[in-house]
Amino acid sequence: MSDVVIDIADARKRYRGGVEALRGVSLQVPKGGIFGLLGPNGAGKSTLVKILMSIVHPNHCAGTMLGAPIGHKPTLAQVGYLPEHARFPEYLRGGEVIRYVAGLSGISRAEACVKTEQLLEMVGMQDWGKQKMGTYSKGMKQRIGLAQALANDPEIVFLDEPTDGVDPKGRLEMRHVLMRMREEGRTVFINSHLLGELEMICDSVAIMDKGEIVQQGTIAQLTEKSRRYELITRGSMSEGLVQRLKEKGFQIRHEMGQDFMIVYESDPEPIQPILDALRGEGVTIVELRELRQSLEELFMESVGAGGVGGSRKGSTPPSLPRKEAIK
Amino acid sequence: MRQVLTILWDSYRLLAAKKLFWIVLFLTVLIAMMYASIGFTPQGISMLFGAYEINNDIIVEGSMFADYFYMMIFTNYLVPWWLGLFALVLALISVCPVFPDFLKTGSIDVAISKPISRQLLFLVKYLGSLLFVAVQVLVFCVIVFIAHGMRLGAWNFEIFWAVPLLTLVFSLIYSVAVLVAVLTKSTLFSLLVALLVWAVTLSVQWTESLMYKAAYVMPASGISIDVGRGNASKTNQELDANADIVGFYDIVRKAAIPFPKTRDLTYLLKKKVSVRGNDMTMMSAFLADEASASDVREAKATEDYDNRHSTAYIVGSSLGFEVFILGIACWVFVRKDF
Ligand SMILES: Nc1ncnc2c1ncn2[C@@H]1O[C@H](COP(=O)(O)OP(=O)(O)OP(=O)(O)O)[C@@H](O)[C@H]1O
Ligand SMILES: [Mg+2]
Repeated sequence: MSDVVIDIADARKRYRGGVEALRGVSLQVPKGGIFGLLGPNGAGKSTLVKILMSIVHPNHCAGTMLGAPIGHKPTLAQVGYLPEHARFPEYLRGGEVIRYVAGLSGISRAEACVKTEQLLEMVGMQDWGKQKMGTYSKGMKQRIGLAQALANDPEIVFLDEPTDGVDPKGRLEMRHVLMRMREEGRTVFINSHLLGELEMICDSVAIMDKGEIVQQGTIAQLTEKSRRYELITRGSMSEGLVQRLKEKGFQIRHEMGQDFMIVYESDPEPIQPILDALRGEGVTIVELRELRQSLEELFMESVGAGGVGGSRKGSTPPSLPRKEAIK
Repeated sequence: MRQVLTILWDSYRLLAAKKLFWIVLFLTVLIAMMYASIGFTPQGISMLFGAYEINNDIIVEGSMFADYFYMMIFTNYLVPWWLGLFALVLALISVCPVFPDFLKTGSIDVAISKPISRQLLFLVKYLGSLLFVAVQVLVFCVIVFIAHGMRLGAWNFEIFWAVPLLTLVFSLIYSVAVLVAVLTKSTLFSLLVALLVWAVTLSVQWTESLMYKAAYVMPASGISIDVGRGNASKTNQELDANADIVGFYDIVRKAAIPFPKTRDLTYLLKKKVSVRGNDMTMMSAFLADEASASDVREAKATEDYDNRHSTAYIVGSSLGFEVFILGIACWVFVRKDF
């Protein structure tokens, strides 16, 4: 129990007007990690977070957050939130926004002032804290948005598309901030489309489509079933061996004097006899490497399913990672 | 408590960022200073710090009439017309966007996701917007208070009754704007509806007061109106009230019950402030010794007119309206998905 901070069971939401945004979502978020919620536009990611933040009333939602039932207001004192398209009062200075949010969470004035200085520095805005929000660029506003989400030293911080409008340097800094939070044992919950970015930092992810969770687990777990090995060799193989390998279902390509062999096995054990056979024929083994699906491929596979039928046959080999294709 | 103070602090920052607030405040100070420039000499009234003098027999330095006259300008003209009407319209225009802006996606999310109930959030945000008017009226009253103290030696704290009264008047209209804002998130629409409701309540109250005058004050003063011929005549006798007009007045009075009493509340100040022990509605107390019987009768009729509604009725029916409107607005706000 203690290592699951968010445990949602059967969350359902139908907006007025009939849009069915969530159709029975169940989700567990482990404590002390970075959790990514992915999904195409309109999947219901923001709706789910808004339910946890008590901004949207669910039609049904059982479960707990930090041990309290979802929608329990006092628990929100331990939670930080950066909404999608966040908008802060233009008449406040950057530092004042952080203090305003800290005050709303019940942090004392003195504490809030100290915290504000730290956070401004953390997001690289220490020289801008005295300027009005109205004078900031989009990325600067988003940096303040991240800082305000951390104003109350939250146990869990929810970030709905936090890197919207932030430059690469800012994104890198943001990743460092998030990793630091993870080191402190806090939980980070990110909604995003930027899969590459999530792949770099997320410990676990859930993929959502049309109001349902279609995949959930650590990135390693989710990409496990697409694990395969690639063998690169130099020197000619006998026709008989090639034939035997092909019969076993291996793909063999010949490019630039090298053979590329792809073995669909999640276990390296069965590959050993092949290595022996190749070595027996005097073939040079240049490289043996493990390949996995990228998060992007996993995402496309998970959410693309609704479109064209038949794309999810279990035996269909995953496509090659892009870098190989480019070579 | 900390959360409540934070919301109020934000309201103050919002207010200070509005140009119109400072413009209205400047005009308010200007008008209050004009008022403070009025003084009394042994010959009569001096204006603009003595630049002009108007000779008068009874309104002279140290007389009860001067005291009454000075307070009367405040309660019968400055408060109802500047603070209670023009300044309020300007206040409404500048405060109207507060709720629609607060309710915008991305902005409301930050406030609602905090450990504070929606009811409290709504209420404090609403009260915070009333600061605009409260500050204006307070500044005005401070100047008037000092003017009374310096000119007449009367340090009359009752003047400050204007602050809660006018803030209440504003809150009545503003509650309508807030309800529309919560329903539509539109600044323009909420301003228009609030102004419309205000216009309706004003006309209802004006009709009611005119009908009362026609039904009771005029006959008591010996004025009769011939509706058919369209003229009026005045005698020195007290006349009987016209039954038709009284009947019509009763209908208007009943119809006015559910409406907020913006105008009556403003004039309630006359009952709250006193000069030499008599409140400003007690006309007969401020008559000259040699006043004629008909003068006394007219004064008495005006006194009755000013006191025709009890304070409890004026405040109670207004608060009833406000609680009703705010209750709906709060209910919608609490149930809404943002
Ligand atoms: N306030 C609302 N009223 C009615 N429908 C809504 C509301 N908010 C969202 N929806 C609908 O609910 C669905 C899910 O929206 P949501 O914002 O949760 O998606 P999302 O996954 O966050 O998408 P994005 O990646 O574009 O941010 C959409 O079809 C949207 O039209
Ligand atoms: Mg979203």
